[in-house]
Amino acid sequence: MFETTLFTLSGLFTLGGALGVCLCRNLMHTCLYLLASFMGVAGLYAGLGADFLAAAQLVIYAGGVVILMLFAVMLTGGSEDRSNRMGLEKIPSMGNKKTLLLSLLPALLALALVVKLVLSVNIAPEKLPPFESTVDKIGILLLSDHVLVFEISSILLLAVLVGACVIARPIRGKKHE
Amino acid sequence: MNTTVASYVQETLGLTPSLPLTLGIFLVACGALVGLMSLVGGPGTYAERKISADIQMRQGPNRVGPYGILQFVADGIKMITKEDIIPVKADRFLFTLAPFLALFGVLASLAVLPFSSFFTLTDLNVGVFYLIGVSSLVGVAVFLGGYASNSKWSMLGGMRGASQIISYEVPATLSILSAVLLAGGLSFGTIVKAQGALPPHWFLFHNPFSFLAFFVLFISSLAETNRAPFDLPEAESELVSGYHTEYSGMRFAFFALAEYIEVFVVSAVSVALFLGGHQVPLGLGNPDFLTGILGLSPTMAILLGQCLEVSVFFIKTLLLYYVVIWIRWTLPRLRVDQLMSICWKYLTPLALVNLVGTALWMILFGEKFLWDLFFSGGGH
Repeated sequence: MFETTLFTLSGLFTLGGALGVCLCRNLMHTCLYLLASFMGVAGLYAGLGADFLAAAQLVIYAGGVVILMLFAVMLTGGSEDRSNRMGLEKIPSMGNKKTLLLSLLPALLALALVVKLVLSVNIAPEKLPPFESTVDKIGILLLSDHVLVFEISSILLLAVLVGACVIARPIRGKKHE
Repeated sequence: MNTTVASYVQETLGLTPSLPLTLGIFLVACGALVGLMSLVGGPGTYAERKISADIQMRQGPNRVGPYGILQFVADGIKMITKEDIIPVKADRFLFTLAPFLALFGVLASLAVLPFSSFFTLTDLNVGVFYLIGVSSLVGVAVFLGGYASNSKWSMLGGMRGASQIISYEVPATLSILSAVLLAGGLSFGTIVKAQGALPPHWFLFHNPFSFLAFFVLFISSLAETNRAPFDLPEAESELVSGYHTEYSGMRFAFFALAEYIEVFVVSAVSVALFLGGHQVPLGLGNPDFLTGILGLSPTMAILLGQCLEVSVFFIKTLLLYYVVIWIRWTLPRLRVDQLMSICWKYLTPLALVNLVGTALWMILFGEKFLWDLFFSGGGH
């Protein structure tokens, strides 16, 4: 019963949040719906016994990504007025006929993929296997079998860091007096 | 998972564990904990005012009740009865949501705090990681509160708050990692059990690196809770009161309560990770030992042991709480650029060095505490 409740709640959060993201016109609110959706996904992970993944979802998406998105939306003017001073629409991608038509094909493709995935899923056994922590397993796998991937992703992060520093650095010789 | 409140109560009362029962006990325990924490938040404001008054040689609140101790009740009643104002230009949805999100983030982190070896709502095996995750929700709330108010002061405060919280999460997490490294587990239970009751067997004095890591963690958690000298998000001399300028009544109270409870939470985390947690000296928390010397019945012995553990935990945490308030009323506020340079140029590299140093220490000396290396030659 507990698993079912958790699953239902998380599923509602995930789907409700996702629907909110699609239907809401205010970008700031959209970010919040996305937060709800992320938390729902964390709940789904927890229900599946993937404790580390659930916590990572909370830390990275709920904590980090949503704040960054809020910053980005705010700094680029994601407020309620949908057109800028010149009368141009700022966010055409959120509902032009053209964009909708364009997005139809990817949407169909994604739908086909989802259907194929869902159909190929084996029906799980009646009971989940007893819960065991995944933390140490993930740690050992990351630093043994998948150490190359691990290191490559750290190089990627380093590159991003250096890139951010280069962009944000004041230009030499042009000091503020 | 046999060390939570639910299983303890079921064992002592001799009940057969069943799902509705466990759920019921959980609900009662959660209710009790949230109530208790609100009580920490209330007298927290009183303590803050009294201690600040003491430091500045004033009287502080002294009208309501003996020594003004009922001041926080009066404040609470005032908050409840105050008019609830939402500015016309505010974003109503976000404006109402932000205080709840702040309180939710803080209260959710209570779930894994180890008050004693039995009184912890759940001993998640990713407890520390979970705590970092939910407490970062407070950052979202601060930012939203600032944005939704649609006022310049709030906006600046919210932006400062969010950037400060995500920046200082880096050194805080890295320092927490060195404690995790020493204990070899992410659950609070494991970390507390790996430490002893007396200072030589705290992680604080495990090795020079963990000693530094504690201070990095403490400074970062001051910044994460927006406490002075890092209270830039609500810097009252420049920003009126930052991200909650436009809030009034209970909504403001939610933000204030969230802040005071969060200070308690971060103090409790520091205590659990580095200051020995709920370990009671001389093995007095151990029920077998208590039955041995006092001749108590096992149930009473467990109860007494738990009470001792909870008191030890609370005493340490409240002492740290005092230090936090003391720092607030002693140090001047930093500037924004100083705040960021402290985080990225000093604390983060230091935390990285600590992490690597702790790992090296573990390779060289194993899990031996510094004290054992010098004096007893092992044996912990």
